[in-house]
Amino acid sequence: MSHSEPNDLPVRVEGLSKVFYDEGRGEVRAVDGIDLACRRGEIFGLLGANGAGKTTTLRMLSTIISPTEGEAWVEGHSVSDEPEAVRRSLGFYSATTALYPRMTARETLDFFARINRYPVDSVHARVDQLIERFGIAAFKDARVDKLSSGMKQRVSIARTLAHDPPILIFDEPTVGLDVLNALALVDNIRRLRDEGKTILFSTHIMSEAEKLCDRIAIIHGGRILTCDTLDGLREATGEHYLEQIFVHYVKDAEAAVREALEARDEQELADMEGK
Amino acid sequence: MSSSWQTSLRDLRTLYWRELRSALRERTIVINSVLLPLLLYPVLLWLIFTAMSFVRGQEERFVSRIAFLDLPAAHQELRERLANDEDERFEILEFSTLEEAVAAVRSGDVDLVAHATKPPPEAAALDGNFALELVYDESKDRSETAHRRFERELVDYRRDWVDREASARGIDGAQWDLFAIERENVASGKDMGAFMLGLMVPLLMVIMIAVGCFYPAIDATAGERERSTWETLMTVSASRSAVVGAKYLYVATLGATAGLLNLGAMAVSMGTILQPLMSGREDGLSFQVPMEALPLMAISALLLALFIAAGMMLFAAFARNFKEGQSMISPFYLLCILPPLLVNSPDVELTLGWALVPIANVALVFRSAIGGVYPWDLIGVVFVVELATILALLWVVRWVLSFEDVQTGNYGGDLTKFLKDFFRKKEA
Repeated sequence: MSHSEPNDLPVRVEGLSKVFYDEGRGEVRAVDGIDLACRRGEIFGLLGANGAGKTTTLRMLSTIISPTEGEAWVEGHSVSDEPEAVRRSLGFYSATTALYPRMTARETLDFFARINRYPVDSVHARVDQLIERFGIAAFKDARVDKLSSGMKQRVSIARTLAHDPPILIFDEPTVGLDVLNALALVDNIRRLRDEGKTILFSTHIMSEAEKLCDRIAIIHGGRILTCDTLDGLREATGEHYLEQIFVHYVKDAEAAVREALEARDEQELADMEGK
Repeated sequence: MSSSWQTSLRDLRTLYWRELRSALRERTIVINSVLLPLLLYPVLLWLIFTAMSFVRGQEERFVSRIAFLDLPAAHQELRERLANDEDERFEILEFSTLEEAVAAVRSGDVDLVAHATKPPPEAAALDGNFALELVYDESKDRSETAHRRFERELVDYRRDWVDREASARGIDGAQWDLFAIERENVASGKDMGAFMLGLMVPLLMVIMIAVGCFYPAIDATAGERERSTWETLMTVSASRSAVVGAKYLYVATLGATAGLLNLGAMAVSMGTILQPLMSGREDGLSFQVPMEALPLMAISALLLALFIAAGMMLFAAFARNFKEGQSMISPFYLLCILPPLLVNSPDVELTLGWALVPIANVALVFRSAIGGVYPWDLIGVVFVVELATILALLWVVRWVLSFEDVQTGNYGGDLTKFLKDFFRKKEA
C-alpha cells in the first residue's frame, strides 16, 4: 500500500470513516467518508464545531485509532499497514497529549527524540537545539510538574518536534491557553510552516483559522463540506468573514440532512402503507 | 538479529527506562516497592523490642502486695523470704481476718492473699504441713503479676523444704523422686526454625511482591490515562507491543525488587526478630533463612513477580483513573494471597498436584528451600507451569489491548464486563 500516492502530497485521505459503538446511542458515525489532501509546506486547517469529527480524523491520521473504512497515507505510508512509519513521520500535539510530570524538560525531549528514532548520535545536539530555540534553558532540568503552563506548552511543542518530523498535527492546540500563550503558539506554528513543515491544524476558533491557514476544510457531521483557500471560500459564498462562510456551509448541510431525513421518513411511511 | 528486532529492543529499553525513572521519583511507589520490603523487618524488630521492654518495664515496676493469713510458725521463712527479696518486689501487709483481706484484693488494695489452711488428711501426717489458698484478681495486671511471682517463690520454697525434711529423715532426693523425665526432640533448633519460617516466609513473600506490583501496575495504565500522557505515548513510533512490553517489565521489575529486598531483609533480620520471642524455650531455635536456599528463592521470587505483574496488568488495562485501578486490581491482589494461605499447613507438601497451581506452587518451593529439601523434578514442573501461565496471561493482555476502546481508555467496564460483552457479541 505504501508509496501508492504521489510523494508531493505528504498527507492524503480517501473515504476515511470511523464508526464508534456507544451503549446509549448505538453506532455513531463520527467521521463519514472524508477525502482530503495536504500540500507540502502548507498549514491545512480543519474548521468545525465541537463534535464535528476533527479530532477523530486527526487521531486516525496519527494512528491512535484505526479507520473503520477508507485509507490515509502520511508521507506515502498507509495508516492501516505501516502505523509505526506514519508515527515516525509526524508530530502530534493536542490539549490531551500531556507531558510526563516526573521527568525534566531535558529528559522529556531526549526520550521523545530517541523513541521516535532520531539518529542516536545526534540526539544530544537535537535536544540542545530545541532547548535553545524554545527558550527552555532556564528550566531544562526542572521537573515538568513544577513548570508553569506557558513553560509546559513550550516543552510540549519542542516534544512534538523532537524527532524533526516533516508533518505536524495540531489538534485544537490553543484550548485552555491564555491569550498570550495562544498567540505565542500560533506564532510558533507559523514559523514552523515557514521552515517547510506541513501542518494540519484543527480549530473551532474562526480567527485562528483565518490568520493561520493556507487552506481551510470545513467539517461538519463527520463530513468535509468544502475545502479551499480563504479567498476561494469568500468567492464561492460571497461572504467576507470566515464565520459567515462557516454558517453558510453548515446551514446548507443541515438543510440537506433535514431534506434527506424527511425523504427517508416519507419513503418508510409509503412502504408501511404499501404493506 | 534482524534490524527490526534490534529496533524493537532499543524501543523497549528506551520505554522501560523512562517508566522506571519516572516511577522512582514517585513517593508511593518507592515506599511500597523499595522501602517497605527493605525496612519492614528492622522496623518490626524495633517495635517488638520496644513493646517487650515496655511491658517488662511495667511489670518490673510493680511491687506485689501480699497478705499472709494463718501461716504456720514452722513456715514463717516463706514470709521472711518475700519480705527480704533482693529486688524488693514484695511488700507484706497484715490483715486480721480473711474477709478483710479478700475485700482488699477486690478493691485493689492488696494483690494476693495467701491463706494457710489444714492439709488434706492424707498429707497431715507430715509435721507442719499445710494447704495454701491463694486469692487474687486475674482481671488486674498487678494482681496477676503478684500471683505469678508468688507461685515461683512458692515452688522454690517447697522444693527446699521437702529436701530438708527428706534429708532429716535420712532420705536422699533420688529415692523419693520416683521417675525422671528426659526429653529429646530429634529436630534440631535449626530444623524447627526452618519449619516455622517455612510457614511464614512464603506468605510474606507473596504479599510483598503483590504490594510491589500494585502501584506500578496502576501507574503504568490508569496513571497514564489520568495524567493524559497515554495519548502522547500512543503517538510515538514504537510498536504497541514495545509500549506494553516495557510497562510489563517495569511492573515486574518493581515487584521482583520488592520480593528480593524482602528476601534479603528477612535473611538478615528474621533470626534476630523471632529469637527473643522464643526466649523461654530451651531447644535453641534458629530462625535464620539458610543461605543455600537464597538462589532458588530469588529465582522463584522473580517468577512470582512476572506472574503477578502480568495478572495486575490484565486487570489494570481497563482502568481510566487511579480509583478504578485500585478497585480493579484489589480482587486479584486478594486472589494472590489465597494460595499461600491454602498451603500454609505443615501437612501440605510440594506434590505434582500442587505444582500445577500457580502461586501456591512457588510458595511451596519457598518452603522446601527453607527446609533444605530440593525435589528438583517437582521444582522443574513448577517453573514450567509458572512460565506457561505467565505467557498465557501476557497473551490475554495483548489480546485485550488489541481492542481499540480498551487501548484508548474509552471502554467503560472491567475485565469481567469485557469478557461478557465479547462472548455475548460472539454468540449474537
